[in-house]
Amino acid sequence: MKPLRYILLACLVLTSCISEEQYDNTPRGNLDALWTIIDQNYCFLDYKQQELGFNWAQVRIDYRQRLSDKMSNAQLFEVLADMLSTLRDGHVNLYAAHDVGRNWSWYEEYPRNFDPLLQDAYLGTDYKIASGLSYRILPDNIGYVVCPSFANVGGDGNISEVLYALRLCRGLILDIRGNGGGNLTEAQRLARRFTNERRLVGYVAHKTGPGHTDFSEPEAEYLEPSPYMRWQKAVVVLTNRQCYSAANNFVRDMKQCPLVTILGDQTGGGSGFPFSSELPIGWSVRFSSAPSYDADMQHIEFGIQPDTLVTLSDDDAQRGIDTLIEAARDLISRSR
Amino acid sequence: MQLAAACLLCCNIVAANAQEPPAQALPAQEPPAQASTQPPLSPQPQAGPRTSFATHATLFGIGATRQLDTYLSPVNYRGPQLTFIKEKLRPTRLMHGRVSYQGIFQTDFTLMHNPSDNGRCLGGNMRYDATWHYSWTPLPALRVMAGPQLTATGGFLYNTRNSNNPAQALLAADIAASAAAIYTFRLWGHTMRLREQLDVPLIGVMFSPNYTQSYYDIFSQGNYDHNVCFTHPVNRPNLRSMLTLDFPLLGATIRAGYLLDIRQSHVNNLRHHAYNHAFVIGWVKHLGHRKHRDAAQEPFIM
Repeated sequence: MKPLRYILLACLVLTSCISEEQYDNTPRGNLDALWTIIDQNYCFLDYKQQELGFNWAQVRIDYRQRLSDKMSNAQLFEVLADMLSTLRDGHVNLYAAHDVGRNWSWYEEYPRNFDPLLQDAYLGTDYKIASGLSYRILPDNIGYVVCPSFANVGGDGNISEVLYALRLCRGLILDIRGNGGGNLTEAQRLARRFTNERRLVGYVAHKTGPGHTDFSEPEAEYLEPSPYMRWQKAVVVLTNRQCYSAANNFVRDMKQCPLVTILGDQTGGGSGFPFSSELPIGWSVRFSSAPSYDADMQHIEFGIQPDTLVTLSDDDAQRGIDTLIEAARDLISRSR
Repeated sequence: MQLAAACLLCCNIVAANAQEPPAQALPAQEPPAQASTQPPLSPQPQAGPRTSFATHATLFGIGATRQLDTYLSPVNYRGPQLTFIKEKLRPTRLMHGRVSYQGIFQTDFTLMHNPSDNGRCLGGNMRYDATWHYSWTPLPALRVMAGPQLTATGGFLYNTRNSNNPAQALLAADIAASAAAIYTFRLWGHTMRLREQLDVPLIGVMFSPNYTQSYYDIFSQGNYDHNVCFTHPVNRPNLRSMLTLDFPLLGATIRAGYLLDIRQSHVNNLRHHAYNHAFVIGWVKHLGHRKHRDAAQEPFIM
């Protein structure tokens, strides 16, 4: 009989299915699917529950009460997007053909500290453009570089050209206000120009399972010095609440570099590496799946404090003066 | 007697694509009676040039697939699938010629959609199996084969709208068990061959990112975290079954059949399955070439 048992066991194993629970395409099914995706994959759930004071299990109960079998897709979208807003995470979105569910309170609820018209006035019309970087030399011989996005900073050649053109300047202002992120590799490519040695800048982890505490051992992240031209003078990085995601990580990295001062407002945060999933109705879901930390193993999901807090003055703005740029110029002048 | 002759007939197909008449295909030194009383693979050392045989089959398949990969999406994607299979079968000298070598190259491609039909997923897979079958002849018309198989698989899934997790690499190497049964019979005056082959991986390794680990983390940052996983029938219960019928048609040997290919894995808390069904059809060529050696290579059942 023993061989028969083994054969039966083998048949059982070979015919077993590896599958995932499939939710119905109903309001209840979609809400449960979304709740489960966040519950099993969102990397800041325990941290957010603690910081923001909500209970994720209770959130499902509360939002189920807002469902109705007769509700339209637009109404369902509104309920689901509201549920995601509980997390207050710019990397958490719900995408449908008609709308994007979002919570952008990380900058919408704060002063902008950035006026593109003022920035344009400082750049003038004869500034230079090296791929994703715009730059010029200000009248007091200070280099001014604008990096509005890390989607495409440019290659090492572009960055070298910028630094070479500004090499005789007394210092450098790197304006990343309004930079909502992009690629981490682009951000690191730029940050590597401001260190002469390998520096510990933070840690990164990822989830290893559906449990709220299933995380990998944090891996140290280092900023390696660029083998190309590196900047050896004072640098001031201008930040505001719109510096998010890769820009947030850029500020984290730059904070570890010597001769670098972070000036302006706190960054917006967004330290979770975003992943995508989907609901039975076909809407895409984006969520943070892998947290990164600063060099002290502290969360930077809610942003990074500047070294020097400076806000844009309305009086200055009316006079065509950018308070942050002027403060940076003053800082560089005094640093000599 | 007729059955025995038919069995031996299929052992000794020399001419490519021939609807071989029994009298021509039977080697002169092997009377039909011997085929049923002694293994046809017994070496009969002879002097002079010998003939080495190989069977080449080329198959095209069309079918349907249902796939899930929780790294990309928690919902099942479905779609049509195209399959191409190239098979080579030849005798070896191992164990007095009772062991044959089978090489199968299989590739398939699919374009799937999600249940709400607003998301697409591309999938491609290539696989090579090297199998050594030992054969028995429990009945004159029936040959049973079994042996070890080495399998290498490479493929991908690409979800067209995911952001930082748009694709999943499917890489694996397995040691598998393979078994086949070949039944030869005559119908309407023609020799036909029915074959069922079952391949089941036993142990192996496969690549997988960890639960929410990004490819950026693995390859750009170099952070390894159980990305090469040991697999066995519990966490990777895979199975490939192919039932085919070889029959002569217009001077060629045609092979048609049904392919069931089940690929599953559950590693690093990520679930993957691909249930593939395909109707396959193609042609078979029996190739023989003279070799000036007296190797113990008797014609072999293909």
